[in-house]
Amino acid sequence: MEPIIKIKDIHKYFGHVEAIKGVSLDIMKGDVVVVIGPSGSGKSTLLRCINRLEEFDHGSIVVDGIPLDTAENINAVRTEVGMVFQQFNLFPHLSVLENVMLAQKIVRKRDHKEALKVAMELLNKVGIPEKAKAFPGQLSGGQQQRVAIARALAMNPKIMLFDEPTSALDPEMIQEVLDVMITLAREGMTMVVVSHEMGFARACANRAILMDAGQIVEEAPPDVLFSHPTHERTKAFLSKVLH
Amino acid sequence: MSINPLSSLPAPAVRPAGPAKVERFDRWWIMVAAVVILLVLLIFLKPDPYQNLFIFVRDGVWRTIYITVISFALVAVFGLIVALLRLSKHKLIRGIGTVYVEIIRGIPMLVQIIYWYFAFPAIVQELGRSFNIPAFVTFRPDGIVMAIFGLTFGYSAYMSEVYRAGIQSISKGQMEAARSLGMTYVDAMRYVILPQAVRVVLPPMGNELITLLKDTALVSAVSVADLTRRGREFSSAHFNPIETWTLVALLYLVMTLLATRLVAYLEKKARYER
Repeated sequence: MEPIIKIKDIHKYFGHVEAIKGVSLDIMKGDVVVVIGPSGSGKSTLLRCINRLEEFDHGSIVVDGIPLDTAENINAVRTEVGMVFQQFNLFPHLSVLENVMLAQKIVRKRDHKEALKVAMELLNKVGIPEKAKAFPGQLSGGQQQRVAIARALAMNPKIMLFDEPTSALDPEMIQEVLDVMITLAREGMTMVVVSHEMGFARACANRAILMDAGQIVEEAPPDVLFSHPTHERTKAFLSKVLH
Repeated sequence: MSINPLSSLPAPAVRPAGPAKVERFDRWWIMVAAVVILLVLLIFLKPDPYQNLFIFVRDGVWRTIYITVISFALVAVFGLIVALLRLSKHKLIRGIGTVYVEIIRGIPMLVQIIYWYFAFPAIVQELGRSFNIPAFVTFRPDGIVMAIFGLTFGYSAYMSEVYRAGIQSISKGQMEAARSLGMTYVDAMRYVILPQAVRVVLPPMGNELITLLKDTALVSAVSVADLTRRGREFSSAHFNPIETWTLVALLYLVMTLLATRLVAYLEKKARYER
């Protein structure tokens, strides 16, 4: 079976600093991949390369058979790849409902009625249909992040990318977001998640990756990686994260 | 659910909850009223020269308003285009925008207006003679057209800086979120960035409008019969500089004060309309 995401020898420079030093990774349909690593290890940058929010300087990425090269292809890939950000990035001038409907109408060319139907279904799915008319600024962080997930899902993506989705949240709001993500994983969504939520990783990820200094240090199923890491770097990192 | 105090999105203004707040009277209207009353008193209590003056310069007032409105509408469009040029990721396009802004900012508005009216047509005529194009040789543009052209060309540079600051004040994550949903750059600008930037740029845009209104007085230098020029004509015919320029100044003041109120009203509307 062809991998749905094929990353081949990616290099990325910020000025003279090489943030990613030759990463290759194949992700299969239905994979739930959790990427961990210290800050500055290039894990977010790698994630952002997958939908080309970050340009890479060398190497290639093919998503669902579409190479990330021309502007047209990049937009095509982006409609198939949903992204959830650490800072939610909801559109503050639009209501929750409009946030979930906007790209459906503009990119997917759905009419108002259909977009509304999809939006309400998804707001039900993430558990906040009653906030449809509210504005992002009136919601808690956890609610905002759930709306952001609904907004991404409204495009019917084949892949979801999560860039530290719970890092900006109050501790008691983390679980409500993770619950939505666990549901998605169980439904078979292909997911790449940059997060240190070990609970989530153990519950539904089938692969865990440790990145450091722009490279993949180690990959294993989450239970194996967390309990029996082979590399010293992984052990050192985990000892800090797991207390 | 409680409201999360750590929510990291800037909280946008919220529609006032419960019964509509009683709108506080905008006290600046008193100032507008005072100036208008002063004008009316002058015109009716001392018709000579004020009433004659007013009748004489009236068409100048309309011309000033006309030039301001048309120029500002054009500036609002071209300023945005220049701002987008300057925000382009292509070096050459960005360079074109930057060079234009730097040149315009370095030349006095009065010189620019004179240049467009006197030098530019002369250049066109010269070209017409050199290359034998009859339409160019007889090129003699209308004063108002060239005045509007000059003001638009100059003010678009200033306005582009206002827009640029406004667009850059919107967090990068907004563009990223829009693009990650597959929206094109143009769609993201139109539906996500600009609607937010408008709220930021309204106050400085208002400043530009008022400065532009006052700078229309410069077009009197190129034989456009605006308020200032009509005032000068009256004053030199009747030798009464005090009365003439008092009235002209008051008329400008009424216009700028009204423009300020208009901008304040739009700001308030933009805040609540969501």
